[in-house]
Amino acid sequence: MSMSMPAARRGKPKIRPPRKNHNASKLSFEEHYRYAYNMVLFKHGDQLYTGVKQLVAEHLDSLAEERIVPAFPRSSGTHGAGKLGGGAEAVERAMEGDRFLKAVKGVWEDHTGSMRKLKDVLRYMIYEVGLTLFLTHIIRSPRHPIHTHLIATLLSQVQLERDGETITRSTVRECVDVLLRLTDDRDGKNVYLSDFEPEFLRRSGEFYRLEASEMLESGDAGLYLRNPILHMPGTGLAPMLDADRIADLRRLYVLFLRVPDDAGRLALRLALRGDIEERGKEINEGTKDEPGPSQNGEPGMDVDEDVKGKGKAKASGGATALASALRWVQDVLDLKDKFDRAFQSFINANPRAPEFLSLFIDEHLKKGTKADEIDAALEKTIVLFRFLADKDKFERYYKNHLAKRLLYARSASDDAEKGMVAKLKVEIGRRLTWQGSLGTADVKIRFKARSHDVNMSTHALVVLLLFDDDKDGEGLSYTDIKASTDMPDPELQRTLQSLALGKYRILQKAPKGRDVNPTDTFTFNDSFTCPLARFKIMQVVARVESAKEREETQEMVDEERRHQVEACIVRVMKNRKTMGHNELISEVAHQLSSRFNPSMALIKKRIEGLIDYLERTADIGTYRYLA
Amino acid sequence: MSEEPDFVLLESADGYTFVVERRIACASGMLKSMLDEEAAFEEAKNKTCRIQQRGVVLLKVIEYLAYKVQYADFNTEDITEDFSDRIDPYIALELLTAADFLDT
Repeated sequence: MSMSMPAARRGKPKIRPPRKNHNASKLSFEEHYRYAYNMVLFKHGDQLYTGVKQLVAEHLDSLAEERIVPAFPRSSGTHGAGKLGGGAEAVERAMEGDRFLKAVKGVWEDHTGSMRKLKDVLRYMIYEVGLTLFLTHIIRSPRHPIHTHLIATLLSQVQLERDGETITRSTVRECVDVLLRLTDDRDGKNVYLSDFEPEFLRRSGEFYRLEASEMLESGDAGLYLRNPILHMPGTGLAPMLDADRIADLRRLYVLFLRVPDDAGRLALRLALRGDIEERGKEINEGTKDEPGPSQNGEPGMDVDEDVKGKGKAKASGGATALASALRWVQDVLDLKDKFDRAFQSFINANPRAPEFLSLFIDEHLKKGTKADEIDAALEKTIVLFRFLADKDKFERYYKNHLAKRLLYARSASDDAEKGMVAKLKVEIGRRLTWQGSLGTADVKIRFKARSHDVNMSTHALVVLLLFDDDKDGEGLSYTDIKASTDMPDPELQRTLQSLALGKYRILQKAPKGRDVNPTDTFTFNDSFTCPLARFKIMQVVARVESAKEREETQEMVDEERRHQVEACIVRVMKNRKTMGHNELISEVAHQLSSRFNPSMALIKKRIEGLIDYLERTADIGTYRYLA
Repeated sequence: MSEEPDFVLLESADGYTFVVERRIACASGMLKSMLDEEAAFEEAKNKTCRIQQRGVVLLKVIEYLAYKVQYADFNTEDITEDFSDRIDPYIALELLTAADFLDT
């Protein structure tokens, strides 16, 4: 059958030398392809294979001879990590190294280009062979010491850059890429991993140790930190976490805080995140080989959800899977514990965390986002909430925000609100109560053009009623209004803003401007017109609390805490009748810790306040409860 | 690929020349590597491929390539047209070897 093919009449084709110098445009693809095709078809495949292989090898040898050997740097023996000589010598070294690497790179490109063409023609058989040939004839050439030179040059280039010399990074990178692409056939190991990396890591370690001690001597912490201290093998962040070296971590954190522009904290956070992910991955990989469904653990907050999912899935997976499931869950829990502690401390490090958290919830319940989105967001805030130490403070803010949402009818859905309250209830086991000091009122106002039904807040109404007495139209000054209404400044300013600067301006402000100042004067806007018979004046809502308000909130929180501490002391003493001072303090602190962390000083002070009901016994530092 | 259709020439052994869209020619694995501009063989440079086949066979091959491209994104059950109906039994064997050679 094959005899009918025209090509079959041709004699045994000869093998041509590989395409040197990329002059392929003069060569016909079709011709080569046809020859190769026929050779394989007539069972001369191995002849073609060995022939091509030999030719490629010869070609590579000659390339090494012609182009790489002359470019050997004069001296690139294996130096330690110590600084290489400075000045002109260093520049020269950099140049030499660069030239050498470029030569290697050039040969590589040449080779891969040729191999590509060969691959097109000869299809499957040749590309891998080409890589191996490159490895044995160039990189690990038995005839020339290319290998030693290459590794040494790469290292010294890196070293030179660390010393502040300019090198051509791209060349270095490309050469490393070459190493990465090559794989040793015999042991299947990557050439980069086996030949280059260990030496490189050893040098880097040495270098950073050196660098660290030098930098610390010069006392420039910022500069020091900008170096990738976090990733130092053996002394970086991960090992610290591993070994629970809290003191070290603390030092690290303090150091990072000193770096300007938050860059340090950012870097730290990034590294931490990476580390968590890494650990999660490790845990998952540990169970991967086991039978049963595989799951990807996610870092951070989702970990606990995952634990549940994984636990369930695994339980049904069979007896063998059970052991690994248990181990997995345990590992994840350990990991979570470790980071929970860190999480807790940094959340509570921000004194405004409770307020922010409540604001976040406020925003989500207000926006009218989709129900499931709300749920997801709230679920997450609950996780954060668990970390919060000052739960009572949160409660106060939450009450406030909730009240406003309900009274201004801004709430997205009652169900969501109820759900949130229920969730919070589960967390702190206490009913939330809210007070309604903020209401709305409907008023009929007669303007020059017509009268309108206006819905506004009670505060706005109070202010507006003042203008009822202002028959002569002279207006009222801010101080007048303040004196008559006795409203706190921020509240009054917001109210006036909504009346005079909002969508419907039924008051006029002089002088005009975006803010309400104590020097402003207000007049009733008689010429107000509006196409709507009924409209609503929205209260300008306070976003984040002002400093003063925050102080007030803090005061209220403190007041509440005082009562709680006292109640707790009495409760404990009633139970125990007599108790040591320290014991009492720790018991009270323990009982209250679910709501907030009372300070020693606070408890002590409250004990003193209750001294009428407690009696110091003869035994120093012990109290007895008096009914 | 640009919107402009890019054409290449396919020459048969008995002197016929076919102007074919590159897109369609490249449906053949062999022609694709032949026309690969990075490898820059003579054929890629001149955009002309000489194929050692008779014109009538090459024509049928090109017809099949067009058919292959046309139905590339279809599910098998949606294709009502059977290409084998179009093949003249007299060239079937030659066509078969050509198809294998061209990796179509």
